[in-house]
Amino acid sequence: MRSTILGCGSYLPPRAVTNDHLAGMLATSPGELGERSGVTSRRQAEDGQGASHLASRAAEQALAAAQLGPEAVDLIVFATMTPDITFPGSGCYLQDQLGCRTVGAIDVRAQCAGFLVALAMADRFIRAGKAERVLVAGAEVHSAALDFSPRGAAVTPYFGDGAGVVLLGASPAPGVLATVLHADPDGLERFWCEFPASRHRPTRLDVEALRAGRHFYQVDAEGMHPQAERILPEVIGEALECADVTREEVALLIVHYLDHRIARRAGRAAGIADDRIVATAEVAGHMAAAGIPIALADALAAGRVRRGDVVCTGAFGGGMAWGAAVLRL
Amino acid sequence: MSELVNSRILGLGHHVPDRVVTNADLTRLMDTSDEWIQQRTGIRERRYISEDCGAADLGVVAAREALRSAGVKAEDLDLIVLGTLSPDVDAPASASLLQRALGVRGMPAFDVRNQCSGFLYMLAVADSFIRTGGARHVLVVGAEVHSTGIDLSTVGREVAVIFGDGAGAAVLGPEPDPRKGVLSTHLHSEGKFAEKLMIEVPSHRLRPRVTEAMVDGPGSRVFPRMEGRYVFKHAVTRFTEVIHEALAANHLTPAEIDLLIPHQANLRISQLVAMGLELPEEKVFNNIQRYGNTTAASVPIALHEAVTEGRVRPGSLVCLAAFGAGFTWAAALLRW
Repeated sequence: MRSTILGCGSYLPPRAVTNDHLAGMLATSPGELGERSGVTSRRQAEDGQGASHLASRAAEQALAAAQLGPEAVDLIVFATMTPDITFPGSGCYLQDQLGCRTVGAIDVRAQCAGFLVALAMADRFIRAGKAERVLVAGAEVHSAALDFSPRGAAVTPYFGDGAGVVLLGASPAPGVLATVLHADPDGLERFWCEFPASRHRPTRLDVEALRAGRHFYQVDAEGMHPQAERILPEVIGEALECADVTREEVALLIVHYLDHRIARRAGRAAGIADDRIVATAEVAGHMAAAGIPIALADALAAGRVRRGDVVCTGAFGGGMAWGAAVLRL
Repeated sequence: MSELVNSRILGLGHHVPDRVVTNADLTRLMDTSDEWIQQRTGIRERRYISEDCGAADLGVVAAREALRSAGVKAEDLDLIVLGTLSPDVDAPASASLLQRALGVRGMPAFDVRNQCSGFLYMLAVADSFIRTGGARHVLVVGAEVHSTGIDLSTVGREVAVIFGDGAGAAVLGPEPDPRKGVLSTHLHSEGKFAEKLMIEVPSHRLRPRVTEAMVDGPGSRVFPRMEGRYVFKHAVTRFTEVIHEALAANHLTPAEIDLLIPHQANLRISQLVAMGLELPEEKVFNNIQRYGNTTAASVPIALHEAVTEGRVRPGSLVCLAAFGAGFTWAAALLRW
């Protein structure tokens, strides 16, 4: 048995935050923010909304597209780095909000590769016969964790909030053609958020750490770009080879990386024509675990890809963790 | 097309910090007593770290032991999975820090965050990858440093007395004999009870996710909260239910279990579950008396001790089961 995509959904909260909005708080100019991050506008979830709430909306779409109800789901895999609360995981909240049976809800942490890890996991559960229909969710509420003071000017403009969900189902014909995953901890401090830190005595989160801003993301974008630009074409090539798919057969390549300009360049370096590349952060900023399923759902909704098309996707980010997948829709 | 194979535990390891904290030690920090703690939970002592040390730092010691006993080199791992609710840092995942501590690269490394059911969830993940040829050797580590995240004053006593620090690890690999190894895994969740046992803050539902006011002083929202009676009642029901589910899936009966290793949540829960299944004391493994509840680490620590003590032998039917925050609960049957 193999797995195939039964439906996709995406949700972006309606509140848009432009560089004009951010410039004052971050003590810089809209032009400077745009130039630095490549992002002109991103969305922010409302106070009280967590990753599970955004994922719920996306999941309802995915289920509707598959003409299935929540009772059809027999496993949830939820990737995020911004969970609703510290524990339990957001997958449990999603189970309740959708009204699923008391199925397993796995919470995955793999930063920007989170969705690909969750997808590979769901594919393996289905192929192993442990599940028939798996909701794979990627959702982020980065805005809750960002530094909206001048100290955050280099990092904050990159990130947005949103969620995407893919419903995978068992099928004799393969839809998930290949998944490849990698990690290398060398230099992982380039994408770093220290606190809360269980290793810190006597308490893992204290006022001193908050005052020093050690609970905010530290991102050395310049330091990551060369590695992203080298690794993304490599891992995309590896996945295409595993799937035995040629570059000409790829209808759409979704490249997921913090900076969409680097992502697009890496996509071209992978041998895919520019008009068949989507860089996830182009639309509404970077969303670590959510960028890929949002881009996939949106491409389907816009008619940019259709059933039978081959979609390839690659991601690189914190950890450092990266991966790629090849899908036949 | 590769045939489906089973997975099997090739090696185990565990590591707890040296510092022993007895119930008497806790009475110096909070209004509690050895009698109260033992009566409610069965716990006599637990371990706390004594220097800055995170989940992955404990985990790597357990992992090295598991690799050694499995005869697998760290560089030959195809996948590293770490389960914790007390990660070393906020991001990246503790699995990345574990990967660095092991000195290896290339294979994927990620965290599974399923609290007390974490080890069972990870076992299901590892089993799925191995069965389908997606990985050959998988390292699964449950590791927790609770002592830096609990309220050791009288306000936090209900939860604080329960938790301890520790790590347990397993290396899994393929098992060609379909009657051996991991026979099946069963995962569940019920999010309507998410807030019956939780740490709220940092919370990405809040803007911002954490403030000085949320961290500071009594009633701090960064400490765990539990409705103990509620959790206790559900635990007994769900443990029993999911063990029956696992047995039924394999056409087995409770009497055929050679050793039940329940997640070490509370000795009284384990005793009630065992009684319900009519399992005699010698068929149930408990070590909560010495370690407290180490959430994702408790099952591999207990399994490793049980194997070391000779309570698991070739052919033994071992049942692992867990229940905890989420609520999540799970079971697995293994033929040794």
